[in-house]
Amino acid sequence: MRKRAIAASVVSSSAVILIGWQIGAQAQSADTSLSAAAPARTSAAPATSSPQSSARASTTPTATPEPSTAASAPSATSAPSESPSAASTDGTYTGSSVNTRYGTVQVQITVSAGSITDVTALQLTDSDSRSVQISNRAAPVLRQEVLAAQSANVDSVSGATYTSDGYLKSLQSALDQAGL
Amino acid sequence: MLIDTFETMGTVASVRLRGSDKAAALEPVQQVFRRYDETFSLYKPMSELSRIASGQMALTDATEAVRMAYAECVRWRAATRGDFTPHRPDGLIDLSGIVKAQAMNEAATLLRGSSAEGWLLDVGGDVVGSTAGTAIGPAASSARHPELWNIGIVDPDDRTRLLCSLPLGDSWSAVATSGTAERGEHVWRTDDSAFFVQVTVLAADIVTADVLATAILSGGRSRLDEATSTFTIDVIAVDRAGGILTTPRVRDVITVTAA
Repeated sequence: MRKRAIAASVVSSSAVILIGWQIGAQAQSADTSLSAAAPARTSAAPATSSPQSSARASTTPTATPEPSTAASAPSATSAPSESPSAASTDGTYTGSSVNTRYGTVQVQITVSAGSITDVTALQLTDSDSRSVQISNRAAPVLRQEVLAAQSANVDSVSGATYTSDGYLKSLQSALDQAGL
Repeated sequence: MLIDTFETMGTVASVRLRGSDKAAALEPVQQVFRRYDETFSLYKPMSELSRIASGQMALTDATEAVRMAYAECVRWRAATRGDFTPHRPDGLIDLSGIVKAQAMNEAATLLRGSSAEGWLLDVGGDVVGSTAGTAIGPAASSARHPELWNIGIVDPDDRTRLLCSLPLGDSWSAVATSGTAERGEHVWRTDDSAFFVQVTVLAADIVTADVLATAILSGGRSRLDEATSTFTIDVIAVDRAGGILTTPRVRDVITVTAA
């Protein structure tokens, strides 16, 4: 049961954090919240931990959920059916729809071996009730996830415009000198 | 592979030609940049644009190249609701926001017509390139297609490092990055709540990528959402707190690359 409680806590806390992202929070600390902070709250009920985790993830005042949002914070709708084991947390969890002042938000996460491997926004509208092209909306990604995508072989480098002097210090200059 | 670098427009251009060692292919490319620089530079007092800016010459008397560049800037100003504009806040006409990209676009057309199997052009941190015979979309992984050009995106927090790298494909043949780090706050922000320190836009052409990177850096989150729903682009944006936002296709490529 403890593992199950941990899994539920991870899922619900993470879902709230991710919803916080979706409604505009700039969650620079969320990467740690996802992996490290969530299991620490195993004894807290999801509903009570939700506002805390949302607040942790927020860096702008506008991103703090309304009280009503926090009260209806989503929880995992499907609990693992197998008996508790290391693999029993695997699966896809769908959060409940939450009405925020930025629109309706619902997320789905995929858990594998105790970590979240995918997050999908299932529905989202903006504050004008205009349907947002969810297929191309920019959403937060974890920094480690991005860093892991580095390739050792880079042909060219894109960055903010460098001056002729700044070029010598640029990565592009290093690539050009190396003849890569 | 032939690698050549030359200075232009206050920065440095790097050209790579794959499957060709003909330096002759590069001379017309350099000519394009010289021509744009001599016409549009506000650092050259006798350039056509300097004479217009100082009032010695009317815009209506300008050459077609200048009038067309101005017209394109005005079109982009409308498309970005003023976040991109051909005028500085003091009213001075300044087309430098689009001239480099237009020159790159023209150079890209020349390189496309060359015999090289693949080519890559980086001017001051903006990139356009093509690999012959690889009709591959943005979801392609460079790990599976080593012939694709792989473009690193600078980490704004530590400019000696990369944030990530992405392969160029057909719908991502151009990458432009706008940021506050190299030249300070050279983008005039139109939205006080703007919080991006670096915006990278991937698009099918460098003008779209460059203009929208500037507009999103200037206009913030609302401009980002509007741009990604209006244009066929992908974005990697870094905010002041170090948080990273990407469009789903970028995320897919990152996932594939990391796997």
